[in-house]
Amino acid sequence: MKWISQDIDMFLKEKQYVDTAVLPLLPVSFGDDIKQSVAMTEFISLLSVQLERQFRGRLIMLPGFAYLKSASEDSLIGGLGQWESELKVQGFKHIFLLTSDSMWKAFEGQLEGGLIWLPSLPLEHMDENYRNSILDDQVKQLLNLFVQKWQNGE
Amino acid sequence: MSKNRVSRRQFLNYTLTGVGGFMAAGMLMPMVRFAVDPVLQAAGESDFIPTKQKVAEITETPTRVDYTYEQQDAWYTSEVTGTAWVYKDDKGEIVALSPVCKHLGCVVDWNTDKSNPDHFYCPCHGGLYTKDGTNVPGTPPVASLDVFPYKEKDGFLYLGKAEPRKEA
Repeated sequence: MKWISQDIDMFLKEKQYVDTAVLPLLPVSFGDDIKQSVAMTEFISLLSVQLERQFRGRLIMLPGFAYLKSASEDSLIGGLGQWESELKVQGFKHIFLLTSDSMWKAFEGQLEGGLIWLPSLPLEHMDENYRNSILDDQVKQLLNLFVQKWQNGE
Repeated sequence: MSKNRVSRRQFLNYTLTGVGGFMAAGMLMPMVRFAVDPVLQAAGESDFIPTKQKVAEITETPTRVDYTYEQQDAWYTSEVTGTAWVYKDDKGEIVALSPVCKHLGCVVDWNTDKSNPDHFYCPCHGGLYTKDGTNVPGTPPVASLDVFPYKEKDGFLYLGKAEPRKEA
């Protein structure tokens, strides 16, 4: 389900079936790495749309955690920690963090949710068909990962 | 000099009728065109979306058929990819099923659950459907998978809008 009123109505009705929250982590920077942060944000956004379409009945796709690359790591981890504990309180059994930013990989141990790191691909140089098929492949791998985690959790 | 000379009065009459006629036609023609327009519109054809699947190549195993169409969201048009599971049944007739689970809208997959081979399986909550799209009792879905109306044109498969299956 997406973070739109139509889907949230469904969420409120079928809450017992929705046990997974996915939070895309979207970096923003205006420094030297501006292009890189845009590519990461774009890639993760496209991926999360596809992912939501496949698993819309069991997960809720949150609007995304946008953060400044220039912010201190402590404050970023603290901020994300607040999200995680809130989601936990709300009863989500599985929390997935979706990112292309390798910075988070270093702090994986401090995060409670499952961190999924995917290297971002240079989508800007691809034509649309090729891009879609590449994204499809990436999503397929993600699907397996999700199904596995769900099966282990049961 | 010819006998019937055009008098000043006649000349003015002719010109005025001509110019008046042009003005009346200029006003009437668009009106007629507007009135006739609904009749001229291509009917029905656009409801069926072409796929890349050749009808002759459809087997008895359900295969994924992707198709793209343009979706208009207010003023924003985007290209959307849809999927159908297509196969031929025992009688050789084509069946095109929607992959959207009737429970909460996840995408079902063919033959992916090891304990239930030859079923459509929904990874979200374990919904099961038999090959013809009927929901297996005891699993969350409460209805059968939607069915696409289909058409064959130039050897390719065209899909319409998925509809709920009529209960047999």
